Amino acid sequence: MKLNRTKLLVEPPASATSDIAFILIVFFLVCASVEPDKGRAQVLPRAEPEPQKDKQSQTIDVELTRNAVILNGNPLPPQIFRKSIELKLADKTRDEDKIVAVKSRKEVPYSHWMAVTGIIEDSGGIITMQLEEEQTVQVK
Amino acid sequence: MIVRRKKLDASVPAMAMGDIAFLLLIFFVILARARDDSHLQWKPAAGQELTRPTTMNASVVVDKYNVTHLNGREIPVGTLAEELKVLLGENPAGRRTVMLKVHHEATAVYFEPVIEAVSEAGGELHHILEEEKNQQ
Repeated sequence: MKLNRTKLLVEPPASATSDIAFILIVFFLVCASVEPDKGRAQVLPRAEPEPQKDKQSQTIDVELTRNAVILNGNPLPPQIFRKSIELKLADKTRDEDKIVAVKSRKEVPYSHWMAVTGIIEDSGGIITMQLEEEQTVQVK
Repeated sequence: MIVRRKKLDASVPAMAMGDIAFLLLIFFVILARARDDSHLQWKPAAGQELTRPTTMNASVVVDKYNVTHLNGREIPVGTLAEELKVLLGENPAGRRTVMLKVHHEATAVYFEPVIEAVSEAGGELHHILEEEKNQQ
């Protein structure tokens, strides 16, 4: 008596490959679209080597530390800072008077910087960054 | 005499579907990698009333290791302004958008020179942020 062996190797159905590939496409597209692309536009005047102090009447100085804000030398909590800067900018009509010089200490995190500059821009201020310039001094 | 018409089978071969879909897959993957900075590790800072930029001419990333990248390529901050000037060329206003992606914990010593370089190159900054979740 002959016994027929059962076939163990079974080919996968070819019609399923299109479905598999389509699911892969969807997977890659979904992965690609996770990257954030929303944000906030910010207008910064072009970098100048020295500020034109004589043309500006009175710039508002904001200094940032790691988690605090100093407005014209006075440290303020965030809620009071918003009201104070709004008050200071309310009566300014010329663009050059709306300039707010932002100086940050080295350790200021980006999230804090963005929060404060956001408040300034919402209040109508124009942000300029005050950076420390490196100078080489030759000693005789 | 009745002549029977031959039935023409016009079905699309199912076998080819896999190949077509696979080619599409390769096409999308290559397209996604053309301006790729997805391999960079950074977490956006929180913000409110966020908008999507209408154009995107360059992308600058400061990752969690405080390394600066221009369009996915590592670059020293000293040469960023020059490279951006080349990229932006003589584009008119509105077509000089530079997407700035800075890790939320990066400090001023790293991100301020980058912002300055974008400003020097005449780029229009668009900070990429994450919508702030209201905590109640």
